[in-house]
Amino acid sequence: MNFRKIIPALFLMLSISSIASAQLQLNGAGATFPAVIYSKWFDEYKNQTGVQFNYQAIGSGGGIKQVTEGTVDFGASDGPMNEKQLEEAKSKQNTNILHIPTVLGAVVVAYNVPGVSGLNLDGNVLADIYLGKIIKWNDSAIKKLNPKLNLPDKAIVVAHRSDGSGTSFIFTDYLSKVSKEWESKVGKGTSVNWPVGLGGKGNDGVAGLVKQTAGSIGYVELAYAVQNKISYANMKNKAGSFVQASFESVSAAAEGASKKMPSDLRVSITDPDGKNSYPISGFTWLLIYQNMKDQTKAAALVNFLKWAMGKGQSFAAELYYAPLPKSVVKMCEKNISTITANGKKIK
Amino acid sequence: MSSNYSYYWKKITNLLMFSLTLIATLCAVVPLVLIFYYTISKGVTYLSPDFFISMPKPVGETGGGMANAIAGTLILIGTGGLIGIPVGIMTGIYLSEFGKNKFGFLVRFLTDVLSGVPSIVVGVVVYTMIVIPMKHFSALAGGIALGILMIPTVTRTTEEMIKLVPHTLREAGLALGIPKWKTTLAIVLRTAWKGIATGVLLGLSRAAGETAPLLFTALGNRFWSTSIGQPIASLTVYIYDYAKSPFEDWNQQAWTAALVLILLISILSLLFRIITRSKYKTN
Repeated sequence: MNFRKIIPALFLMLSISSIASAQLQLNGAGATFPAVIYSKWFDEYKNQTGVQFNYQAIGSGGGIKQVTEGTVDFGASDGPMNEKQLEEAKSKQNTNILHIPTVLGAVVVAYNVPGVSGLNLDGNVLADIYLGKIIKWNDSAIKKLNPKLNLPDKAIVVAHRSDGSGTSFIFTDYLSKVSKEWESKVGKGTSVNWPVGLGGKGNDGVAGLVKQTAGSIGYVELAYAVQNKISYANMKNKAGSFVQASFESVSAAAEGASKKMPSDLRVSITDPDGKNSYPISGFTWLLIYQNMKDQTKAAALVNFLKWAMGKGQSFAAELYYAPLPKSVVKMCEKNISTITANGKKIK
Repeated sequence: MSSNYSYYWKKITNLLMFSLTLIATLCAVVPLVLIFYYTISKGVTYLSPDFFISMPKPVGETGGGMANAIAGTLILIGTGGLIGIPVGIMTGIYLSEFGKNKFGFLVRFLTDVLSGVPSIVVGVVVYTMIVIPMKHFSALAGGIALGILMIPTVTRTTEEMIKLVPHTLREAGLALGIPKWKTTLAIVLRTAWKGIATGVLLGLSRAAGETAPLLFTALGNRFWSTSIGQPIASLTVYIYDYAKSPFEDWNQQAWTAALVLILLISILSLLFRIITRSKYKTN
């Protein structure tokens, strides 16, 4: 029987391979919004220290779910967990969940209209498009904001996220602030009941949809739009000026918000004051267990977080994220110092 | 005249039916050819030794390979096979040799039901039963999910193949005073071995092509990992991630990963052919 030879051989292979890789690895899952910078960070960090952070971008909703179930060592989300979610996670995992902001990012309104570039939009028009009230690109409301553009008589294909998403949270949080109708009909959340549109999974999914569909509009993290060469609209902010999403305009929004940062660091910075502030931006958080069971993992995580707050921030700009304001970094470091392993402080 | 008429009528019907079957055959073959054509033509551009030995690059950066995913897929189907193949073969033996009763009927029925259960459901079940209690996504959980998916294919093929063994062989064995278990192992199983191997191959190939159950269980891994206690990368999950990504370089790599997966299964199938053939020569 050939099985006699095959099965022991397989066993041998498996056992050898499991001995060979005893490297420290931490597993995390969550938001796709910061996936670009996280994968860069974790790649860089592994080269510097040998510690592997395996991050799987499954969406903020998934990240919160896995943290609650305790199947990962850390999670990530760009919509903060609400009280009920925190309560549930605490009762299941016996520890508080810390929100540690890592970088800021902008959610841009990406569009694909052949022959059109430099589109201007404001919150109300955007809300009306997503409510299904504006259905053509040459609608008078869009024309009014773009007198110089030659807008086609073409249907608008609306794209949104199909999965639980922090990007959706930031986007709907903004629309709820600028449009009463949006607030009452749809509201804000990581997944809402979209009145119109096609769903794409992940930031990459929506970017793919917009890229492949002429006449489409969608919202994605800035890096996804830039890397894929998709045009994105200039948004009118609270002060009334049209602002393009950029490192500077997001930093401007963050500067304003950092003055009234709550101690648990869960805060929304959409629709901020300030002439140069981009209106649809937000923090993205790592979700960390305040008390971890594994001493080595806890120490590795704390070291990484310190690295991310310091050297890690320098990678932000080239990947189109905005680094944290200094004052926020200080608050983060304070919270990081409260992380324990089995109740004991990490040295 | 009437005989002539019926002759022509028969000829026409024959021609008609023949062309219908021909069209149906083409309908079945064309997608297969298209799949091969597309995967090879799109996948070959990125195919290089580098793809097999280097690791994936951070999101959005071009280049890199899928060494970890290739190893991961092999480990996953290996683990799945260790679980699914023995259980499948033994169930198959039970069903054909001992299962001519109500319980056997029930098992056969349940195996058929299991083969119809969508793979994603198996993924969710393994997630609830293994991943959440273990507090860990792992290659082991992925392997268990794949193993469960292999069981019905292996079981049913084993049963059918053993049924093909002529009854006279069993009777000859029993007539020589050999106990039933020994007859089954040494005569029946030996005779049906080649067919069972085909079933095992089908099971392994099916498992190698699964994505959905792995999302919940093996999760994925951007690093080199061969430990069965850790999350692990696999070609199918990479194909899923990369094909829907907006990065052109990644789309290219997804095609190449698909090509590699097909090659992997072809090699596996070739290997099985060689093993089963040499077996028959020595006997």
